[in-house]
Amino acid sequence: MSNYLDLSIQEINKLLKEKQIKPIDLVNECFDRIEKNKDLNAFITLDKENAIKKAIELEGKEVDNPLFGIPIALKDNIITKDLRTTCASRMLENFIPIYNATVVKKLIEKNMIIIGKCNMDEFAMGSTSRTSYFGAPLNPWNKERVSGGSSGGSVVAVASRQIPLTLGSDTGGSIRQPSSYCGVVGMKPTYGRVSRYGLVPYASSLDQIGPVSRNVYENALLLNIIAGKDELDLTSSRKEVEDYTRLIGEDIKGMKIAVPNYFMSDIVDKEIKDKVNEIIELLKEKGATIDYIDIDFIENAVTIYQIIVMAEASSNLARFDGIRYGYSCENPKDMEDLYKRTRQEGFGTEVKRRIMVGSYLLSGENANVYYNKALQIRDDLKKSFEKAFEKYDLIIGPNATTVAYGINAKLDDPRQTFFDDALVMPTNMAGLPGMNVPIGFNNENMPIGLQIIGNSFEEAKMYKLAAFIEKELNLNLDPRGENNG
Amino acid sequence: MNKLSREEVEHVAHLARISLEENEIEKYQIDLKMLMDDVDKIKDIKNYDEEMLITPVSHKAELRKDEVGEMLDYKEAMKNVPRSNGNFVEVPVMINE
Amino acid sequence: MDSYKTTVGIEVHAELKTKSKIFSSSANNYGKMANTCTNVIDLGYPGVLPTLNEEVIKLALRAALVLNCKINKTMHFDRKNYFYPDNPKNYQITQNRTPIGVDGYVEIDTNNGKKKIRIHDIHIEEDTCKSVHSSNKSLLDFNRAGVPLVEIVTEADMSSAEEAMAYLEKLRELLLYADVSDCKIEEGSMRCDCNVSVSKTEKYGTKIEVKNIGSISNVGVAINYEHDRQIALLEKGETLKEETRRFDDKTNSTVLMRVKETGNDYRYFPEPDIPYVTLTDEYVKEVEENIPMTADKRKEFYLASGISEINIKKIIQNRTVSDYLNKFIDKKINLVIASNLLLGDIAAYLNKYEMTLENTKLTDDKFVEVVNALDSGKINSKIFKEILEDVMEQDLSLDKILDNHGVKEMSKDELLDIIKNILDNNEQSVNDYKNGNDRAIKFLMGQIMKETKGNANPTLVTEELTKMLEK
Repeated sequence: MSNYLDLSIQEINKLLKEKQIKPIDLVNECFDRIEKNKDLNAFITLDKENAIKKAIELEGKEVDNPLFGIPIALKDNIITKDLRTTCASRMLENFIPIYNATVVKKLIEKNMIIIGKCNMDEFAMGSTSRTSYFGAPLNPWNKERVSGGSSGGSVVAVASRQIPLTLGSDTGGSIRQPSSYCGVVGMKPTYGRVSRYGLVPYASSLDQIGPVSRNVYENALLLNIIAGKDELDLTSSRKEVEDYTRLIGEDIKGMKIAVPNYFMSDIVDKEIKDKVNEIIELLKEKGATIDYIDIDFIENAVTIYQIIVMAEASSNLARFDGIRYGYSCENPKDMEDLYKRTRQEGFGTEVKRRIMVGSYLLSGENANVYYNKALQIRDDLKKSFEKAFEKYDLIIGPNATTVAYGINAKLDDPRQTFFDDALVMPTNMAGLPGMNVPIGFNNENMPIGLQIIGNSFEEAKMYKLAAFIEKELNLNLDPRGENNG
Repeated sequence: MNKLSREEVEHVAHLARISLEENEIEKYQIDLKMLMDDVDKIKDIKNYDEEMLITPVSHKAELRKDEVGEMLDYKEAMKNVPRSNGNFVEVPVMINE
Repeated sequence: MDSYKTTVGIEVHAELKTKSKIFSSSANNYGKMANTCTNVIDLGYPGVLPTLNEEVIKLALRAALVLNCKINKTMHFDRKNYFYPDNPKNYQITQNRTPIGVDGYVEIDTNNGKKKIRIHDIHIEEDTCKSVHSSNKSLLDFNRAGVPLVEIVTEADMSSAEEAMAYLEKLRELLLYADVSDCKIEEGSMRCDCNVSVSKTEKYGTKIEVKNIGSISNVGVAINYEHDRQIALLEKGETLKEETRRFDDKTNSTVLMRVKETGNDYRYFPEPDIPYVTLTDEYVKEVEENIPMTADKRKEFYLASGISEINIKKIIQNRTVSDYLNKFIDKKINLVIASNLLLGDIAAYLNKYEMTLENTKLTDDKFVEVVNALDSGKINSKIFKEILEDVMEQDLSLDKILDNHGVKEMSKDELLDIIKNILDNNEQSVNDYKNGNDRAIKFLMGQIMKETKGNANPTLVTEELTKMLEK
């Protein structure tokens, strides 16, 4: 079997243009790799038949863009017409949507080839992908470890080199944290940069779709095609889409970078802080200025995140009622029975827990005490980020407080998943773009990532810094053993 | 250990329209209490002002022209319906009417 | 018994007259086959998002303005969370915190003069699906899901069935004339829920909600029924519980639907999928300036034009007639004649053939010709009746139609000849006239009209005849 999928996207593009390879070669190789990595459980649904059909169709077409003919997979909460979309839940185990998400339409327009749907936490609720109804994906660096979540499958598929690009979604770190655990590049764009139409919502005011890739440049290429105003999403921005690769390769000299003190506090493992400090030294050496700053309310992000995310989820997931689609319980004796048993049997524990707490948080006077107050503090947090961006180009810090932990670590504490994401939630709160770029490994060879946070719509600047670090470090991020290549 | 009362768990389960097995109730009494205690921290946070952020976007809602777009063929609309009846969606009799 | 005071508050849902739905581009159509006017948004599919119809904002703003409300120029939407099969997402997108209009009023006529019914608020929301029920199942039709509504909530300002009905009539007239809603209660495009309570003291009594009332007169029936029912219970020493009842038009009574749960727990929160909507001052002004003339203004104007009160009432009841009439306001025609025609011969014609004005051949210009011809005496109403069908059905000018009917306007010379001839042949009558017998002139007039076959202008005839007799 060939190894075209180890080449860069630019190299593949060149081969396609020169007709040295065909899209079908990429598709066959991709499915071959997926077959070999079955044990990682990165996918929930594969669409081999249509992928092959599409690849053959493309043979007659002109290679007109950098992502033409490139295989891609999507987190299974992104709606694909006629292709099962489960959200890793029993509730949607057999759900075949009748429309396409806007991002899916964009991928199809650019003639990318959709290979299948990636594993995830059920309805994106979790930080390890272990709440999936289809079992957890495994970390390719150590199969005894979690992949992170909730976009675990999307990240594992790229990290293990089964596919060059995937899409994930990020509500409170769900792209960046697993990217950090698995050593890939993951971007959560500015809220409103990518249409959410067709993303099954977890928390509407936080969710954003973003690219997962092997390297920075390819990440920017994918953002180029999924970004932009969508008439079907009122929260999508009319702000012009730029070429997100345009600053890659530029010098970082003179860049003003801030590190929030909270990001380097005791909540973060020492091995991670050490790595981040190495990067800080590197950046200083290369002419960037680094300041340590306080961002008001950043340490409250977990609390307000918990409230907003569970409250919105309780409402967003109310539509799964066994009436119009999805799982429906057998022989309901009345309406209440239909609702209650359908939701009891269709949802997993974590989802039910969050829906119940969310309902409680909005009930009666609680809405004022919790949700509305959370929105007030959220506004304050956004303002304090804005204040920081008056002075600084970018903010950096770790993405995760630890490296990926054991797959058998207890799921008992319902709060753990929120603590796992303490460093990545604040950006979702403020709607800011955040990304992960790998910066090395701990002594157990588990990846560590750097979080880069930009001001709204300044993804290009983030890619510039990320690409600079990537080039300086030149890490080997391929977890495959010698036999695997 | 601190936990919610049985009635409190049953109340939120009803709000969320989720039925609970006997053995789950006890677990939720503890789990939900842990989460609720956690979010209670918000009561101690002092905010700058009353302004609320309902969505992080700064733009205003753009309005759609009043034009009729594509609609679903009713067969397509019924495609995923667990219980359909002709071109209607069927449910157990609604109680409140 | 009479020491009880009745208090009524009313919530009205009115569907807005738009082409498409509020949050999706499906058609806003009534009476189509079930589930043929839907898309994934109306069905509440996972992942879909709302868009917002500009016409909805415009019509709701109009409604808020004609109800004299203060306008919330920055508003957002809220989710009202409740599980019900007719509520596709199990939350309804509505406005709770920032309704488009607040603190308005509607003025009604009562036996004791004018009275202001205060409007608490008017807010925008989406309609639910329609459901039909049998004994063991309900069937859902999503065509209505997402149809735009305004909900108009009054303060508890009405104290009788009559006032409630007067309010609803007035509200209906306001919404209808502002082109906000077609307000067809029988089709459900206007729906009324009443809150009725009775009390002997200054404190309000227990609030009973009555839903599903299918006509304005039945609102009166329902309120009177509730008045009697509640007082009877209180007199028996019972305490009333807050509850929701349904009006049954077969028995003209109300039937218990459900006792209210302790405080409705709708878990409202701001809808994160719709950013703030802002209405600029210019926009509000523009919408205000383009509100069609209200019924009250029309009435004032018609009264000043000399139209009778009975006819004014008839015109206002028929919006098409009023709009048609208003087209000629600037044309300086005789509106009394115009309205008589529209309510009389033309209405009869349209009725007979089950037609509307638009599908006849009566152009605006032709209508003006007819009115002016009647006004000047060029034709009389008898002739108009003769030529009516041709006026309505033929693409010809009035003169051409008159010509075809052999109705020619007589020249003055011709007329004078006829008069002279009649006088010569009726010497006795001429003498009678000169001797002061007034009846003689009527006889002579009759003779002349007979001779001219009605083609002469009576005013002119009287004038010329008198002149000749005085010679």
